[in-house]
Amino acid sequence: MTLLWMLVGLVGLVLLNVPIAVALGVVAVAAMLATSGVAMLPNVALVLFDGTTKFPLIAIPLFILAGAIMNASGISRRLVAFASALLGFVRGGLAMVTIGASLFFAEISGSAVADVAALGSILIPAMQRKGYSREFAAAVTSSSATLAVIIPPSIPMILYAVMSGTSVIKLFVAGVIPGLIGGMLMMGIAYGMAIRHDFPVEEAFELRRLRRTFRDAMWALSLPAIILGGIFGGFVTATEGAGLAVVAAILIGGLVYRELDWNHLRSAMLEGGVQTAVVMLLVGTSALLGTFLTQAQVPQQLAAGITGLTDSPWMVLLLLNVLFLVIGLFLHSASAIILVVPIVMPLVHAVGIDPVHFGLVVTLNLGIGQQTPPVASVLVTACSVAKADIWEVSKVNVPFVAALLVTLLLVTYVPAIPLSLVRLLFGAA
Amino acid sequence: MPTDLGRWRGALQRLLESIVLGLVGSLAIVVLLGVGFRKAGMALAWYDELASILLAWLTYYGAALAALNGRHIGFPTLIQGLAPIRQKIAWVVREIIVIGFFVLVAVSGAQVVRALAGTYLVGLPWVPVALSQSVIPIGALLFVIAELLAAAETLTLGASGARPDAPSATPAAGTP
Repeated sequence: MTLLWMLVGLVGLVLLNVPIAVALGVVAVAAMLATSGVAMLPNVALVLFDGTTKFPLIAIPLFILAGAIMNASGISRRLVAFASALLGFVRGGLAMVTIGASLFFAEISGSAVADVAALGSILIPAMQRKGYSREFAAAVTSSSATLAVIIPPSIPMILYAVMSGTSVIKLFVAGVIPGLIGGMLMMGIAYGMAIRHDFPVEEAFELRRLRRTFRDAMWALSLPAIILGGIFGGFVTATEGAGLAVVAAILIGGLVYRELDWNHLRSAMLEGGVQTAVVMLLVGTSALLGTFLTQAQVPQQLAAGITGLTDSPWMVLLLLNVLFLVIGLFLHSASAIILVVPIVMPLVHAVGIDPVHFGLVVTLNLGIGQQTPPVASVLVTACSVAKADIWEVSKVNVPFVAALLVTLLLVTYVPAIPLSLVRLLFGAA
Repeated sequence: MPTDLGRWRGALQRLLESIVLGLVGSLAIVVLLGVGFRKAGMALAWYDELASILLAWLTYYGAALAALNGRHIGFPTLIQGLAPIRQKIAWVVREIIVIGFFVLVAVSGAQVVRALAGTYLVGLPWVPVALSQSVIPIGALLFVIAELLAAAETLTLGASGARPDAPSATPAAGTP
């Protein structure tokens, strides 16, 4: 009964426009006070502090900072120019460029909202000038940005790794093929829509232009090789790789492109700091609520309830997919991972699902949640950049969300898709 | 000509920005030092502990800055669709809940800081644990002040005809 009241309270607070991080904290504190009285009050501060001091989480501000510095250094602009030279000749060229640039940016940012903010501010106005509807421009930018959480590095994967005790590097590797599949499916859909709506070709293919933009973007394109090569090659941990990304971004932005001065760096640091705080406050208050749920033995009850119904991993994955898709409608991905992953992990282990495989399933589900209102952080950002109505954009976004759902089904029921590269690099996952 | 409210807001903005800048820079430097020394075979004993504490400090001081600028993620769509009087009521209730929560967190944090007096960090044995934990009461208090200033600003705008449906729905760009 307490759980039902907590759910009702949480939805009510979110609908009242209480920040989601605060809503989670309020519900947790109310439940703790109701069940344990005021004696538990010091636990609130202790859990809020401990929830944000897990060492692997340090990769989050560093990847965010690296992304902010890269954005301030003109790297997004160069990636767009290269993607345009590579893909702009196809019908609906700018939509293709958006998806292609998102694939590149995903390899250095780790955050879908950072992706949509960085690329959307360049590509959404460009698409509108070329006659694309603002709703289509927002939809394609928003959906393709979700690739950032599937393709490494990925902040949700870091959170999942911390909460489930899984190797973040294996998760990063597992995301590569599903991310590429998602990107290809989206390109196919964008092409079909371009034919249907007669969207223009961006520009004719020109090898000389491709070479020139490649040379200009070469350093930006080398960043994923530095970051992911270092991590996958076992030279650095994910946290150290994130630190390396910051140094590489400062060196490339300051010394190679010469666009990063103190003012840009200061703005990037402030932006990175605030972005980190917004995510980490969600992590802290989610930890508070998660502590209460764990003390109430919710994980054990859920595992016992579902294994009582079925012990088939495929059925359990189906049920968990539905659970995460519903949760993604109402919760931010960081909160959903901190809250739900510890609850379902006993079940995942009990039925023998590979935690790396499950990590990809969770990440994709919550990536879809970023596209589905009411709580849809990436979609909201894209709509804000495009000045478009969220519900109208959602209608246009349906085929792209369908592409993500197809990717999710493939990842869920063909484990070789996420795991084959992991097995190739690390042996049995 | 800035008003008193504008001056207070500007002062808090500058203070929080300085703290956030210092923490982001320190965190990056500490991690890089940690990597460098580890690669050189001289791992720093305090590296993990200090970096984790810096992250917690960045979380709560940065959260106050985000509150001052309406950057926390919310869902304003339903409230925006209400009649003006209902919007005002919902906004007041929202403010009471947010401020009430952080007052409670500040009280809880102060209790913890008092209880931890006399204990020290493991990696940095001369640093009191209470100092690292002080971010919770201080951060919560700064959040309350930021929220009050942002609310006062919204009320001022409301008096000049703007709708008091407060913070922006746009999430921070780093949100995963």
